[in-house]
Amino acid sequence: MPTTAVPQNQAHAGSPERRVFPYHVLERPDDRLVDRFLEAFARVLEYTDYKPLLDTYCRSTAKCNRCAVACPILLASGDPRDIPCYRTNLLLDTYRRYFTLDGWVRSRFTKPFELTEEVIDEMGDVFYRCTVCRRCTRSCPLGFDHGLITRLGRYLLSLVGVVPKALQVSVQEQLQGETHNTSKVSRAGLLDVLSFLSEEMEDALGVELQFPTDRTDRDYVFFCAVSDYLMEPDTLMGNAAVLYAAGDWDRWTIGLCNYDGINYGLFYSDWHLENIIKQLVSEVERLRGRNILIGECGHASRAAHDFIPTFMGKRAPRVMNFMEYTLDCLRAGKIRLDPDVITERVTYHDPCNLARSGWIVDQPREILRSFVHDYVDMTPKGADNYCCGGGGGLVSIDELHDFRMEVAGKIKAEQIARTGADIVVAPCANCKKQLKELVEHYELPCTVMGLHDLVLKAIEIPGGKSPAERKEEAALFAV
Amino acid sequence: MNIDAWIEFAEGPLFGITFLVLVLGLGRQILLQLYFLGVKKGRRLKRVPWKDITRETLGWAVPIRHIEPGTGLFSTSSYVMHVGLLVIPVFLVDHVVLWESFLGIGLPAIGKGTADILTLLTIGCGLLLLGLRIFRARHRLVSRPSDYVLLLLVLLPFLSGYLASHPAVNPCPWNVMMLTHVLSGELLFVVTPFTKLAHVVLFFFDRISAVHWQLRPGAGDRVAEALYGEEVKI
Repeated sequence: MPTTAVPQNQAHAGSPERRVFPYHVLERPDDRLVDRFLEAFARVLEYTDYKPLLDTYCRSTAKCNRCAVACPILLASGDPRDIPCYRTNLLLDTYRRYFTLDGWVRSRFTKPFELTEEVIDEMGDVFYRCTVCRRCTRSCPLGFDHGLITRLGRYLLSLVGVVPKALQVSVQEQLQGETHNTSKVSRAGLLDVLSFLSEEMEDALGVELQFPTDRTDRDYVFFCAVSDYLMEPDTLMGNAAVLYAAGDWDRWTIGLCNYDGINYGLFYSDWHLENIIKQLVSEVERLRGRNILIGECGHASRAAHDFIPTFMGKRAPRVMNFMEYTLDCLRAGKIRLDPDVITERVTYHDPCNLARSGWIVDQPREILRSFVHDYVDMTPKGADNYCCGGGGGLVSIDELHDFRMEVAGKIKAEQIARTGADIVVAPCANCKKQLKELVEHYELPCTVMGLHDLVLKAIEIPGGKSPAERKEEAALFAV
Repeated sequence: MNIDAWIEFAEGPLFGITFLVLVLGLGRQILLQLYFLGVKKGRRLKRVPWKDITRETLGWAVPIRHIEPGTGLFSTSSYVMHVGLLVIPVFLVDHVVLWESFLGIGLPAIGKGTADILTLLTIGCGLLLLGLRIFRARHRLVSRPSDYVLLLLVLLPFLSGYLASHPAVNPCPWNVMMLTHVLSGELLFVVTPFTKLAHVVLFFFDRISAVHWQLRPGAGDRVAEALYGEEVKI
């Protein structure tokens, strides 16, 4: 495919002009970029299992363009370089040309595809315009996983130093820094936050409790996106309230050596993905915990749920998302949610990392329907949902803010507006940040919150204030 | 050697050879996939979601479910063409006779009238798809020369077969058209395992990405060590 035939001067919908490596990498890679990329590709093919995947896709890609209708980014941008199949073919062409007999033979007879710095530049561009939401996979008649290929492309780019610095700096701190987490929250800082949350809960719920830290032999070791400790106190208090109300307060703990569930390796690097997983499991083993309980974070949940068994084998502890735990409690009658507190219209956003595989689709809806009268679904929903526009790490890249608002999140904003909801529930740290920005950008008349923020309002706390009392107090406070 | 002798050769030994290439070539593709799954199994492969993969694959046999705004024309024409591609070569009465004499397998045949309509629909839909590839910028962008050539090659046996069996519209002598029909069909047999047409068997294995997501443990460290040596820097 003549890659160079792509209109190079075509303006991006989100940025006014093309730039070389537009995502502000820490250092611009050196001149041997093409050679180094091919060397990295060769090593990856040697040590990983991607070769059969690439062989299969190269052999059977029909390039029917059917995926074009599924991608919310393409629908909003109209830029043909956002066609999933086009993006995938950038990598397949490289593989075919340099690593297969077929490509070598073709290169003898026709003008061969050539990997140039421009092509790598384009990969750096288009692989980070994709949110790796994998909606296109469900739209491909052959079931091609374009998300997996995008991720492989990002992995190869990262091996030659082309990786957004926002992601790179976070991973450096998580794997090699002192705090071992992406937001540089120190242990003292965490203890401060937990003490603050205890006081807040005492004021709001009327019960005294201390967050359990570094306790051993507990059933659940809790990990959330560490940024939640700084930005989402209501979600955390909602989580804590469920554990308290269910009588499980002595069954969980937060580790003090590692308390970050974030795993940016899922977005761009097999290497980091595995090492962050190992770090997380080591903490659970140090505390002799039995299960891992992941807070409201889509990618952290998927990374732990899908990749702990892959990398740890028999050492793999069980992984639960907090919504699964809450639903278990609700079904078992361990918690009660007051159905008269939430009067607003509520809708639910499916985080791609939870819903695309069908893993968590009905559970949150069952929780919400148990105490929300006016619940409406978005269309489409569940495994067919549209991405918030900040997936695949894009939400962390500040330089992409305009692109996320104008292009990547446009369809989502329209979808939210159509529901007429007052509250959008998004049980994912990434989605929440993106959706909050979207709501502000498009001036939508609604509030974005986590599922447990809402649960916190409606949960009945044994020996504490009733949800109705708390609602009255909150109203007074708001005045 | 005259044309009739050529036809005899093409329908005899050449058919056997090219059919063998098709079967062995596609068999190799399937074996490679099974071998990969076997290797993966040795590396802590979790359960393969066969049920989901099968359900998804069969789900695409019901086209209505998958038609979205903007895909109606493509999905309909592509679906009809694929039905023709599968049904005509196997169940056309003349082919049924051929299969019986060659493989000893008796298959039910479809009526002549149905076959004619389906053949014309297949050719029409194929040309429509070709038109989309040529005239729609997005299709053109993802197309390579082989995508156009293969589509034409797929349609050639249908066109020549139809003309050979309808003397009223056939501009060439019957035996020339028949030879074209047989040879183009056999060319298709030969190229299928080695081109994207291999999706005739790989369509099922394209869906095992759940297996591909189960990455090889330790591979990331080994790649980093090979590339960076001691100087491992994130």
